[in-house]
Amino acid sequence: MKQWKTLLALFLAYFIVAFPFKVMGVIPGFTDIRPVVLLGPIYAVFFGLPGCWVMALGNLVMDAVSGSLRWSSIPGFAANFLGPWLIYLLCVRRAKKPFSLRTGRDLLKHCWILILSAALQTVLITPAVALLYPEVDAGLFALTVMLNDTAFPIVFGIPLMILLQEELHYQPLRRGE
Amino acid sequence: MNYLQANLCLLCVTFCWSTEVIIFSCIPDAVSPFAVTSITCLAGGALLFLAFGRRIAAGLKTDRKKQLLRCLWLSAINAAYNTMYQFGLEDFDVSTGAFTLSLTVVALPIILILQRSRVERRTWLSSGIVLIGILCAMAGVMTRSQLPGLSLIAAGCVIRAFYIIKLNQYAREHDPVVLSALICVSGGMVSYLFWMAVQPNTFLGIPWSPVVIATLSIYSFFIVALAITLNTFAQRRATPANATIIYSLEIVFSVFLGAVLPASLIDPVHLTPWMAAGVACVVAGNLIEILDPEKIRNKGKEAVT
Repeated sequence: MKQWKTLLALFLAYFIVAFPFKVMGVIPGFTDIRPVVLLGPIYAVFFGLPGCWVMALGNLVMDAVSGSLRWSSIPGFAANFLGPWLIYLLCVRRAKKPFSLRTGRDLLKHCWILILSAALQTVLITPAVALLYPEVDAGLFALTVMLNDTAFPIVFGIPLMILLQEELHYQPLRRGE
Repeated sequence: MNYLQANLCLLCVTFCWSTEVIIFSCIPDAVSPFAVTSITCLAGGALLFLAFGRRIAAGLKTDRKKQLLRCLWLSAINAAYNTMYQFGLEDFDVSTGAFTLSLTVVALPIILILQRSRVERRTWLSSGIVLIGILCAMAGVMTRSQLPGLSLIAAGCVIRAFYIIKLNQYAREHDPVVLSALICVSGGMVSYLFWMAVQPNTFLGIPWSPVVIATLSIYSFFIVALAITLNTFAQRRATPANATIIYSLEIVFSVFLGAVLPASLIDPVHLTPWMAAGVACVVAGNLIEILDPEKIRNKGKEAVT
């Protein structure tokens, strides 16, 4: 029961952040300014696989309700799952020590992981969009995905993670959880 | 949260505030700034009550009256300096005006000295360099006719410095979540009074559209709920001087956003050499304050929980 409540809360938070930004389009129908991606690392580190699924499903639902559900939503779904999953893998499953953002080195390492995750998502979605929709500027699309997936998790995600872990006492998942 | 983390949170808060101009540009001119403040503060407060309702209720069991009064007091100070800024900025163009708002950096150490608090030599140095930056940015564009506006902004900066000192003090005494929620709600109520005065039909006078609703929502989440909560928690760990110097980076972020974002989102900034020098000085002042090797070494690994 508690898990369902957590999932519901994660979905709710996702939609509260995602909905308003649907009005700020960069390439209408394809991509927009997406601060909701700041939730990806948070969901991955604090909630694990269910958090990764919420990111993927949330993105799919947003595509559906905003009228931008198309073939490219399939690689979009995969990328929105695999991006946070990579963070989960590197920060939790394969991490040698518990997750923390207390020192400059921790922060730098986390930034690299976020950049890696953003690159993975860009590499997954861009070729599919370029192949399916040749009229879309693939370079601008890739740049938008990369910027969205690095800037928001770094600028807003990191302070929010610090707040959750240090002050609101949320426990990041540990290896084996 | 340690020293480094508190500074990062303050940087994030400053960045959130710097995006305010972009968000404001999506709101029609017919919507009064008081309406925006009132609606977004109340929505942000409601969001915090939704997320931390139980914690806030528990926090209000002790010192309820004291906390409520203090938050009302903070909101009144906030409304006062924002109104002064609003009228003072009428005499300036956007970019020069934004630099003048950083005068808080100079006002704060002086207030601290008057309160007989200790101000570190590093802080004086940072404040001095930021002041040189402000003067650089205003060099050549300032005219005698702008003096009344500048005086009003300077007075607003003194009041804002006082606000930061008080917030810093209260954040250490009360639960920051309770304080943030109450600041939002009381700020919304105070602004509502001003809104009623300038637009008696309040909510009915707003040209509601999906864009307006979306913009107000974004403002409520990021600039109100997130920024106020992060700021209150970070203020608990940072000194008022430290916080004020980091806030001065708002102008740097604004200039950067104005330079890189399209004109449809933000008024483009015409970057003059003097303005670039001003930005460089503000950044240098911040680096001197933030990169205090002693504090990072001593407090870097310490997590105050």
